[in-house]
Amino acid sequence: MIAAKRPWLKKILALAFILVVAGGLAVYYIFTEKFDDTSTQKSLFTVSAIDLINEFKANDSAANTKYAEKILTVKGVVTAAEAADTTVNIKMVDSLTDSYIIFAFQQQHMKEAKQLKEGDVVSIKGSCSGGTYSKILETEFITFKRCAINK
Amino acid sequence: MKKSIILFAMIGLTTFAFAQKKQTTTSATINFDATTSTDALPKAENKTVIASLDAKTGNVAFESVIKSFTFGNPRIQEHFNGEKWMDSDKFPTATFTGKITNLSAVNFKKDGTYSANVTGELTMHGVTKPVTTTANIVVAGKAINTTTDFSVKLADYGVNGSAIAAGKVATESKISVVAEFK
Repeated sequence: MIAAKRPWLKKILALAFILVVAGGLAVYYIFTEKFDDTSTQKSLFTVSAIDLINEFKANDSAANTKYAEKILTVKGVVTAAEAADTTVNIKMVDSLTDSYIIFAFQQQHMKEAKQLKEGDVVSIKGSCSGGTYSKILETEFITFKRCAINK
Repeated sequence: MKKSIILFAMIGLTTFAFAQKKQTTTSATINFDATTSTDALPKAENKTVIASLDAKTGNVAFESVIKSFTFGNPRIQEHFNGEKWMDSDKFPTATFTGKITNLSAVNFKKDGTYSANVTGELTMHGVTKPVTTTANIVVAGKAINTTTDFSVKLADYGVNGSAIAAGKVATESKISVVAEFK
């Protein structure tokens, strides 16, 4: 009735309805968004474990700016597979200085990670969380999260 | 004869040195939980925490890289690291150093479950505050498993994001630390 008298009102109501639905979808998207599978993501850098350790040791603030929160591929030799709760972390250690890189895996890649053992040569892709000096271990360490093994 | 005495003495000394050594792990885990009834998203896990335990002195410590905390949701993770929250570019780590105050109640050489009182200082977001908690210690052969839960008031550490005021993020976050020493 009102709409018949004021045809513009119908348009405004329709527009408002569309906006509410779009807003709702946007909020739903933000709240249910998940991290992509790392294996489907592109590496911004590919480095050897020892080069990466040396780069962080030489200047860790520059290396953090360059690598933190970016997807990297790191190639190296597995020094240890450490149990972390019910999961496993893979570690690559520079035997000269005890500085190390440690990789925590994405849930869907845990099975592959659990098969790795000391001495394996491997290429791992993951999100670099940066590096810092450990006061407990008195050495530089670099951490990675959401990792996957490159096949 | 002399040689074997020296050899035994050396083995003895090495064992002694090992026994005295502070034990460390680079794969301790910390779970951070600031969920509320209206928001189940602010929850994260860090599985690459460095922890140490000195059975002789009772000194305990951990170091955790803030950027290593993994959230299920990318946007929450971004907020957590952002300037209004943990500001991880400026304050990259959270650290705890403390001491077991009832060390005589824990026998690291005998299998069993022990309750340890821990007092120390937690530094995060550039602020250091005292923390007192209880840790559950399980000794099984050479392995020592430690678990502790405590809560921190985010405002005490200068974290006052609008999400906390809006009730989406708990004012007191639950922190759970699990470390296994072998």
